Parts: sequence; structure tokens; C-alpha cells
Amino acid sequence: MNDNKSTWEFGTRQVVYGAIGAALYGVLSWATNFFPLPAAGNITFRPAVAVLIFFGVAYGPIVGLLAGFIGNTLGDLISGFGFYWNWSLGSGLMGMIPGLIMLAITDFKARSQIIKAVGWGALGIAVGMLFASLTEMFVGGIDLNTALVGYFTPAFIGNLVVTAILLPILMIAFAGVAARRGR
Amino acid sequence: MLVTWKYRPRKTFIQSLDPRTRFIFLACIIFALTIPDIWDYRILVPLFLLSLTQFLMARIEWKDIRRPLLFISILVFFIVGLNGLLSGRGGPSSVNDPNSPILFQALIPGTTWGVTVTISKLWFAMNQVIRILSMALPAILIPYTLDPNIYGTTFKRMGVSDKVSFTMDLAFRFLPTFARDLTITMDAQRARGYEMDKLKGGLIAKIRRLAPLIIPVTMQSTVTGEEVIDAMDLRAFGTAPRTWLKNLKYAPRDYFIIGLGVAIFITCCVLKWGVGIGRFFVPEFFTRLLT
Repeated sequence: MNDNKSTWEFGTRQVVYGAIGAALYGVLSWATNFFPLPAAGNITFRPAVAVLIFFGVAYGPIVGLLAGFIGNTLGDLISGFGFYWNWSLGSGLMGMIPGLIMLAITDFKARSQIIKAVGWGALGIAVGMLFASLTEMFVGGIDLNTALVGYFTPAFIGNLVVTAILLPILMIAFAGVAARRGR
Repeated sequence: MLVTWKYRPRKTFIQSLDPRTRFIFLACIIFALTIPDIWDYRILVPLFLLSLTQFLMARIEWKDIRRPLLFISILVFFIVGLNGLLSGRGGPSSVNDPNSPILFQALIPGTTWGVTVTISKLWFAMNQVIRILSMALPAILIPYTLDPNIYGTTFKRMGVSDKVSFTMDLAFRFLPTFARDLTITMDAQRARGYEMDKLKGGLIAKIRRLAPLIIPVTMQSTVTGEEVIDAMDLRAFGTAPRTWLKNLKYAPRDYFIIGLGVAIFITCCVLKWGVGIGRFFVPEFFTRLLT
């Protein structure tokens, strides 16, 4: 993990990719809010999460944080659900944590680096969803058991499965695009 | 697929307020209930009525609001309310008062395991539903009553940095573009035989089959991003503080609403920590009504 200045840089690039990541996360979340993918029990799959983690890995923690926080807010707003700061912040953490390995990812096609990105993505999902689920105890008045079993577990499993499948595909596709553009 | 904003201009008191006032008031209500941990119906009911009044004053059309209301009602009544009723968890320990009269009991024969609904749990479940709705109703209003063009300015004027506010503003502008890109990609893939409505295979195969939809849109957006960065750099973005096209100004009614919100928060804190009012208890009339 790199903790130098460039990991936490906040310039034009981060502003633009934060906004793009947020808009994509918002649109894809909205699409799956109303057309959910079939899954087992109360687990719902949100492909948007893989896109969020990809933006974190590719553009850094600031982009991941902004894309997650603003994107979740946007998705809830266009779905008409309102504004829930704790789930938005949880999504922000879910994007920010994988962003901490941005500088360690030099080859988006390398198997070891893809595995590393998925691993950090899993950590991000765990921290972000745990934060959102536990704060729901104060905001929604639920108990610890409901927070962990009813909220955290389905969100964690669903998001992890989606990330493990789609993040490697996104990274390999991005390696091709980046090579063509030379950036 | 058409992404449309839920916002419509309406001549209502709620929409005449400064957007910052709306967020500050919402925060005051949430903090008033959660920081001093209020469970007393004598405080919960007036706050619920205040939120309900706010909701009704917004005059949102039923056809617009019915779907999210249904979703939130299912969550509040069936998940949170029912959980409170059956388990009594999620609130203070006094909810599971062993001396509270039993209304319903279903135990596994020969054991003490099962479901016991007491008057205390029923009252708690009702309080919990009211408490959550008091916080949710003003939040549901936001997308319907706040102009999407003004979010960036609102957060900037609430002390958020230029860059974060601009990210938010830019995200709102990108949203319809990406929704359109998603539609175009979906149509193009369908023309190649891709069946979005009939994703076959197991769970993993189904998720993998979403890739032809998600990957082109995401990769195109990264290319768009480079062009936007170039355009912004050419205009020296970030070298000096920005000015914002929309200006926000507090009116006397905003000061009144913010004052009301702060007063509610302070009152709840004083009642709980100063006077000792605000804890969970089952009122006499409710126990008498059911026994």
C-alpha cells in the first residue's frame, strides 16, 4: 500500500473520475433497484459495486470515496428513496479502501494484481457494509443481530460475488483501453 | 430506459425554503431522536406529526410517491416493526420486561424456546415504526422537492470544498448521459442476439453475462473522462476559488425553520438528560386497553 502524496491527490482527474464513477454507480444501482437480479434468499446482486471498486482501484481512494458516496446518494434520489447518509458513507468506504492499492496496481492484466484488487475489494465491501449496517442500529433502531444477519451478511455476500466475477473482466478491458490511449 | 428526475417545481412552502434549511432541519430531527435516544411516545408522536405535516405540505402526487412509499413501508412495518414485535430487540433493555402481560405465546413443546409477544413488545414495535417514519418522511421528500441543479451549490454553501461540490454537480450532469449510453449499448447488444430478459445459467453465469452491458459503458466513460479533464485543465480548473452560477440566500422563514430544528434538538437533549423524560415505558392506558 502506498501512502504517499499521489495516492491522496485531489485534482481535476479525481474530480472528473469521481463524478463519472458516481454517475455510473447511480445509474446501475437505479437499474438494479427496480430490476433486481434473481438471487438466493434476501441477497441481491448489484453489479454497480464492481464498477465502484474498479474506479477505486484504477483512480485511487478519493475517487472511490466520492463515487461511492455521491453515487449511492444519486441512485437513491433517482429511485425516489430519499437520502440515507450512512449507506452513502458505507458505499464511499467500499470504494475508498480498494483505492489504497492504486499505486501497487501497475499491470491490470496480471493475475496476481487482479487477485490483489479483488482481495482489497472484499475488504472494502466488508468495512463499508459493516459501517452502514452498524450505524443502522442508531438510525433505524435495529439490534445487533438484525444488523449483522439481516443487513450485513446479504449485502456482503452479494457484493463480494459480483466483485469477484466482474472486477477481473473490468480490469482486463481497462488494460486494453489504457494501452490504446497511452495513459 | 429513461432516467428522469423526480423533482417538479411546485408552489409550496417546502420548496420555497433554502435547500440548506431542508438538510439542516432533517439533521436536527435525526439527531434529536438518536443522540439522546428518545423512546417516549410523548415526544415521538409530536415529532412524527411534524414530519407528516412536512410530508403533506410538499404536495407530492400519489402516482409519483406510491412506489417508494410501498418499498419503505414494507421495510419499516415488516422487517423493523415485526422484528421489534417478536424479539423486542433494537431498543432499550426495558422492552423485554418479564413482568409485562403476555398477549401471544407459541413455544416449542417441552422447551422454553419460541415466540412471546408482550404488551411491552407491541408498544415498542409501534414506537419504533413511528420513530423511523419521523426520520424517513422528510428524507423521502428530498428528491421530489429539491432542484437537481442546485445540489452542488447547496453543499458548497454548507461548507463543503469547491472540488467535492463540483464533483457532485458534474455527477448530476453525467447521469442522463450514462443512462442514455446504457440504453444504446443494450439495444446494440440485443441486435447481436444478447437476451437481457432471459439470462440463462447459474448465478455466476448470469452475472458474467452482464459484462457485455457494463464493460462498454464503463470503458467509454473512462475515455470521456480524459476529454473532460483536458477541457477543464485548459480552463485552469482548481487554480483559484470558483464562483457558482446559482446563489442561495436565507430568508426569514429559513431562520425560523432552522431555529425550530435546533430548538427541537436542544429540547430533546434537555428532556432526556436534564429532566429524565424520553426513556421507554408502556403507558397505563395501553396496558388497560389490552388487558
